[in-house]
Amino acid sequence: MRTHQSDDELMSEVARLVDELDPPPPGLVGRALFAVAIDTGLRDLDDVEFEVARWAERTLAGVRGGGPGMLKFFVDDLTVMINVTRTGERQRIDGWLVPAGAHGVEVRVVDHPTTATTADEGGRFVLTEVPRGTTQLLVRMHAEQSRTVLTPTVDL
Amino acid sequence: MNSTHEAGWEAVTELQTASMTKPWEGLDGRDRHAACLVAVQAGDRSAFDVLVAELSPLVWHVARGNGLDRTSAEDVVQTVWLALLRHVNRLTEPRALAGWLIVTTRREANRVQQRGSGQVELSNEIAEQLPTTDPSPEHEVLRGERDTQLWAAFHQLTRRCQELLRLTVLAGRAEYRAVAEALHMPHGSIGPTRGRCINALRALYHGDSGS
Repeated sequence: MRTHQSDDELMSEVARLVDELDPPPPGLVGRALFAVAIDTGLRDLDDVEFEVARWAERTLAGVRGGGPGMLKFFVDDLTVMINVTRTGERQRIDGWLVPAGAHGVEVRVVDHPTTATTADEGGRFVLTEVPRGTTQLLVRMHAEQSRTVLTPTVDL
Repeated sequence: MNSTHEAGWEAVTELQTASMTKPWEGLDGRDRHAACLVAVQAGDRSAFDVLVAELSPLVWHVARGNGLDRTSAEDVVQTVWLALLRHVNRLTEPRALAGWLIVTTRREANRVQQRGSGQVELSNEIAEQLPTTDPSPEHEVLRGERDTQLWAAFHQLTRRCQELLRLTVLAGRAEYRAVAEALHMPHGSIGPTRGRCINALRALYHGDSGS
C-alpha cells in the first residue's frame, strides 16, 4: 500500500513528469515565429485572408525531421500532395494540387529566400534546388485574389 | 514582394522601438499580454512575437492535454497563432487572450482528431513520434516503476483532466500568471474540478499498483 500523498505532493510529481517527459520541443517558439512571419500580401490585418492547412498522411520517412518522402496537406476544398527528393545538398519538390488550378506555390525555408512557381493547368508543379530546413508551403489561389492557403512548418 | 512587406513591418517596428518604450514593458501576467494584443491591433508586429514567445508553451500543453501527439501538437501551436493573426482585430477583450487561446486550441485539437490525423496518446508513443533530433526522454528520466505508473495513470485521465492538470502545472509558475488568472486559479488554491481530477489520478495510480 502506497503511503497517502497530499494533493500538493501528487501535483509536484506530475509537474516533474510533465517537465521531464513532455517538455515543449526545442525550437517550438522559433518555428512558430517563422510560421507567422508570412507576407500576408496586405498591410492591414483586417484584410488578411488565409487558411491554415493540416498535414496528413506523412509517410514514415516524411515525419518531421525524418527526411524526404510523400507528404500531403489539405483544407476543406484543396488537397496538395508533394514528393520530396534529395538532390545533393538541396531537394526537388514535385507537387500536385487537387482540384487542379494554376495557383501560385511558394516554399519558405528558414534563412533562405522564398522559392516560388506556378502550377500548370493540371495542378502539377515542380520546384528544384529547394534548400533543406524548416519549411512552410503557401498556395496563392489566383482565382480568388485574396486567398492564401498555408501550412504549419515541416522539417524537410 | 515578400521582402518589401516584411521590410515595411520592420521599419514601423524600428521606428517605434527608437521612439518609445513598449507599452507592455514592466507588466506581467494578463496585463502584459493584453497590452501586447492592443499593440498588435495598433500595428506593432513585434508585440505579436512577444505573445508567440511567451504563450506557445501554454498552447502546446493544451494541445497535448487534448490527446494530440507531439508532432500534431506543434502543428496546432502554429495553427492557433496564425488564427490569432488573422482574427486579431476581432478580439474585443484583450484581457481574455489566454482564455481565447485555450478554447481555440481545444477546438483545433478536436478538429484534428475528427479528421483522424491525430493520434491518441499511448505510453510508448513519445519514443515513436519524437523527431530524431529530440532527446528521447523516456528511458533516461523515468526513475522507476512509480514514475511509469504515475505517467500511465495520468494518460488514463479524461482529456479535460489532463488539460486542467497540465495547466495547473503551468499556472504554478510566475511566468504563467496569465494562465492562473485566465483559469481563476489563485496560487495554491485547488478548485472543485481540479480536486476531482487529482482524486481520479490518485485512484488510477494506486489502482495500477494493485494495492
